[in-house]
Amino acid sequence: MRANRYLSALVILIGSAVSAEETAQTGKALYDANCGSCHQADGGGVPMLQPELIGRPRANGPKGGVIDMILYGSDAMAENEGDYGNEMPAFAHLTDLEIAKIATYVRTHFENSGGPVTSDDVKPRRAR
Amino acid sequence: MIKNIFIAALMCAAPAVVAEATPAGVDDAAPVNPELGLRLPAGFKATVFADGVGRVRHIVAASNGWLYGALMRPEKRMGAVALRDADGDGVAEERIFFAKGLKGTGIGIYDGNLYYGTDVSIIRWKLPESGEPKSDPELIAYGFAEKRQHAAKSFAFDGKGGLYVNVGAPSNACMEKMRTKGSPGMDPCPILEEFGGIWKFDAVKQNQQQMKDGMRYATGIRNAVAIDWNTSADSLYVIPHGRDQLGEFFPEFYTPEDSAELPSEEFHKVAEGADMGWPYSYYDHRKGKRMVMPEYGGDGNTESDKGQMPLVGFPGHWAPNDLMFLETDALPEDYRSGAFIGFHGSWNRAPLPQQGYRIAYVPMDKAGNVTGDWITFADGFAGVDVIKSPRDAKHRPMGMAEDASGALYVSSLMSGGRIWKITYAGE
Repeated sequence: MRANRYLSALVILIGSAVSAEETAQTGKALYDANCGSCHQADGGGVPMLQPELIGRPRANGPKGGVIDMILYGSDAMAENEGDYGNEMPAFAHLTDLEIAKIATYVRTHFENSGGPVTSDDVKPRRAR
Repeated sequence: MIKNIFIAALMCAAPAVVAEATPAGVDDAAPVNPELGLRLPAGFKATVFADGVGRVRHIVAASNGWLYGALMRPEKRMGAVALRDADGDGVAEERIFFAKGLKGTGIGIYDGNLYYGTDVSIIRWKLPESGEPKSDPELIAYGFAEKRQHAAKSFAFDGKGGLYVNVGAPSNACMEKMRTKGSPGMDPCPILEEFGGIWKFDAVKQNQQQMKDGMRYATGIRNAVAIDWNTSADSLYVIPHGRDQLGEFFPEFYTPEDSAELPSEEFHKVAEGADMGWPYSYYDHRKGKRMVMPEYGGDGNTESDKGQMPLVGFPGHWAPNDLMFLETDALPEDYRSGAFIGFHGSWNRAPLPQQGYRIAYVPMDKAGNVTGDWITFADGFAGVDVIKSPRDAKHRPMGMAEDASGALYVSSLMSGGRIWKITYAGE
């Protein structure tokens, strides 16, 4: 009985460890999978079509700047902000944690120094 | 007897070989002239006709000796540029920006007028004796919905009073949610009612509204920036931009290599009523077949009966931005009756290097049939051997034109904007 209890606890522990590992994708992996084809792996974007993310105000300013772009896509942009041929879709289907990881990656790479954000920063910005 | 058969075969084969030979194209071993920024086949030479002309898209050479270019973004608040090389040294010394407040892609000449395509209209000015148009523009076609994606209105004339306008689909694959993984394709795709095709108008009639006065000439075309009329074959041809992101949305069906190569950039002859298949199908040049688009139930291996077969399937994402059939006989015979295709170059082949960035030539006979494999007519535009990201490219081919002497012109909107003049100097 005690052995069984120990075993089942072990199974639960292993199970949760595996699933945590599965979901613990790095910000870079999430960026590559969701953002990289348009904004490019180096954040350089595509001239006239998709903005470069290098040294951009949104990635160096208030925490919501990048989060809102991910949540709402092109709809988050002001009328005169950028002049690009393609529209960006909303990525609101990603979890708060996934969005926080991508935003952190963008704000701490590509010559940006906006600093990290957390899922607590993402949550209140949804469907406002 | 054997000798006679041999001679007869020779006589049959000889004229065909002369008329439909595939030219050699660029020599891969030849160096790229770094100042010129392009490489051409033996016998051709080029000059930088103009630098710093802005975001120049399509170009056209007029009978008045001027070259006109449409600007995708205003330069000095103007949406077009006029250039002239009066002393014939291959460099334009005269330059006038005009078309205040406009921006556009399409430009062409018909009926003594200079036509211009904004994102929402086709207008024309009386072609001036020299320089920029002096009269107010006339509105030929309007009512194209204002969109951001694939909004460029490129066009072609059939020389018989018809004007054919590309109305690109403001969409990647007609998904319910724009470019969102897991979102299915809308069936039927409602976008095709108003977009995703070629609309035909009367070339000289004013104030034609797209949905009221225009005719949907062909459909299933995502965005055919590259469009031209082949006079000797008396037919319209297009090579549209194929869709993006197969591997990103469907990694279970497409490897990164598949996603870089697919879908093919499809070169089509377009008859009235033709359907090129978008968004329901795409062409796979590796299989030689049309496949069901994954947003519509495809898995990379299921054949589709929707959409016509292309004449040629080029590798994916090369971004064909102009198509040109020649009118003069200035070039060697094996370059005269085929199609020049300007590939802007890819952004959607990562993690593989980007490709395209060249002018290809498809050998064709006078009836408009493809007679051999395509070759590269000009490359070296990018200025680097391996293009990891499109912004690494110094130049990217955009528009093409031919003047009355048979000289060719090629535009690039990168690095401040450049136009080259290309002539055939002989062996």
